[in-house]
Amino acid sequence: MYIMSTKQPMSTASHEPVIDARELHKSFGNVEAVKSLSFSVEAGEVLGLLGPNGAGKTTTIKMLTTLTQIDGGQAAIGGFDVSTQPDVVRQMIGVAGQSAAVDEKLTARENLNLFGRLYKIPRAERQRRTEELIERFDLGDFADRPSSTYSGGERRRLDVVAALVANPPALFLDEPTTGLDPRSRAELWDTVRSLATEGTAIVLSTQYLEEADRLADKILLIDHGEVVAQGTPDALKANLDRNVLEIHLELESGVGDAQELLASEENAVADVEARRIDIHVGNDADRSLALLRRLQDGGISILKFQLREPTLDDVFLSLTGSPSTEIEESTK
Amino acid sequence: MTTTTVRPASPPVVTDPSITLRVRRASEDTNTVLWRDMIRTMRQPDMLAFAVVMGVFFLVLFNYVFGGAIGAVAGIDYLQYLLPGVLVISALQGAQQTSMGLASDFSEGVNERFRSLPMSQSAVISGRTIADAVRNIAGLVLVALVGILMGFRFASFGGAVAAIALATGIGYGFSWMGAAIAAKVRQPDMVGMLSMFWLFPLMLASTAFAPVQSMPGWLQPFVTYQPISAASDAVRGLANGVPTGDAIALTLIWIAVLLAIFVPVSVYLYKKVD
Repeated sequence: MYIMSTKQPMSTASHEPVIDARELHKSFGNVEAVKSLSFSVEAGEVLGLLGPNGAGKTTTIKMLTTLTQIDGGQAAIGGFDVSTQPDVVRQMIGVAGQSAAVDEKLTARENLNLFGRLYKIPRAERQRRTEELIERFDLGDFADRPSSTYSGGERRRLDVVAALVANPPALFLDEPTTGLDPRSRAELWDTVRSLATEGTAIVLSTQYLEEADRLADKILLIDHGEVVAQGTPDALKANLDRNVLEIHLELESGVGDAQELLASEENAVADVEARRIDIHVGNDADRSLALLRRLQDGGISILKFQLREPTLDDVFLSLTGSPSTEIEESTK
Repeated sequence: MTTTTVRPASPPVVTDPSITLRVRRASEDTNTVLWRDMIRTMRQPDMLAFAVVMGVFFLVLFNYVFGGAIGAVAGIDYLQYLLPGVLVISALQGAQQTSMGLASDFSEGVNERFRSLPMSQSAVISGRTIADAVRNIAGLVLVALVGILMGFRFASFGGAVAAIALATGIGYGFSWMGAAIAAKVRQPDMVGMLSMFWLFPLMLASTAFAPVQSMPGWLQPFVTYQPISAASDAVRGLANGVPTGDAIALTLIWIAVLLAIFVPVSVYLYKKVD
């Protein structure tokens, strides 16, 4: 049950959600950035906020972290209302990514010390914590250089670590791996998983399907400020219960011909540049064979084909009716 | 989902701070931000250098280019007239840097971080204005030293200290105005452009460079009472050891008025979110 109280202590032992959003709504002028978004995140859970640019991910995170006003609905962190008790909520959250930066002129050590001071962590404890974070997240090599000199990966790592200074029970990561090389991304993924294991409730926004699939316990697929689908990554994929027949053609010109031959198939999606056609065929092997034969008889030269489990890309496609270019690009 | 809770303890959550605790924390936060801005000042010596170079630029330009003309008309030793005015103008430049600094905090996204932290939001501005005042003092001392090399003479050491203190004071008042502009506009290039609109009229239509008698009659009331003239006259009196009339009182009133208006306004604008 959702209880709103001004003095309710936070408890991670029970299954009270740490982060609780109820019908959040936000408009900028005439643009409805977020329409009625509800979700909750328990301690140790990772919620993946997945969607293309402009889906409302950053706005949602900003509302939950007191960075922008909530126009409608309610949000609570650890039982404290975000709109009416922002000062209390700020003691329980850490924010990283697009929404909040670090000081570029300060070194990593100075930044962590600065934020520790502002969280009112006593000096000795603060210094111990700073060193611990530098050690644990491997910031040592650049901890004493101004952060303006960092590589993208180093910078993102400091961003995330800066959100951890006070061990916040609720952590918000706004596209933390955008622009990172694969190795830095993998490292960040490890970090997120281990923080969740330690009991932190995490909201992570991402455009990367793979990222949400790997990290999130549950996913909220959003587009134009609305939830398109939600559930565990597996449940989302199982919802489709249809395998995908992926056909790669030899010639780009063959794609158009193939499309004509497959005009009767509602679920066929063609990508001309990739010379690829995806068709949801379910578990019907005969149907796959029939489709392939139809193409072959039509004189289309097939390079290779495979029958695969649906990816979140497919989920997105089947639910929103349009592929998200950002997502496709990001998974390449 | 994992429910193992081995998360290290977070700082205790304060739900209902007393007024005393709030005030104490606000001053702690101001101190922290001051520390942060002082580090930034040290790492960007060009900010201080720019203020000093501008001051020296005005000293040299006005003294050697216009000095003869203005001095002859007014029958005064122009350098003795000019340097105190330049100190006030330099302090005003410092206030403009408050504006630029706060705006760049917005564009870098640091202010978003501050806003997500359990800290006094007004401390972001109060810490910065103090840091800028400290930098201003350093800049004013350097400009004064250049003036002395050019032949300026302070009437006394005490007068020099008082002159620099008062110039810093009016600069501090304008720092809060600069902060209010930055908190409203939030974009460094816009802030830079807007500064020209208040900086130049206040600077040039003042007694900083030339006596009010040399200006057209319709302009004289504005020139006489505007804050930069008051401060220039007051600082001039203190530096030269001559009576200033109401100039010191008028300057103090202006500082009080600037703070009374722009402290609440800038904090209000800074806190405002979409």
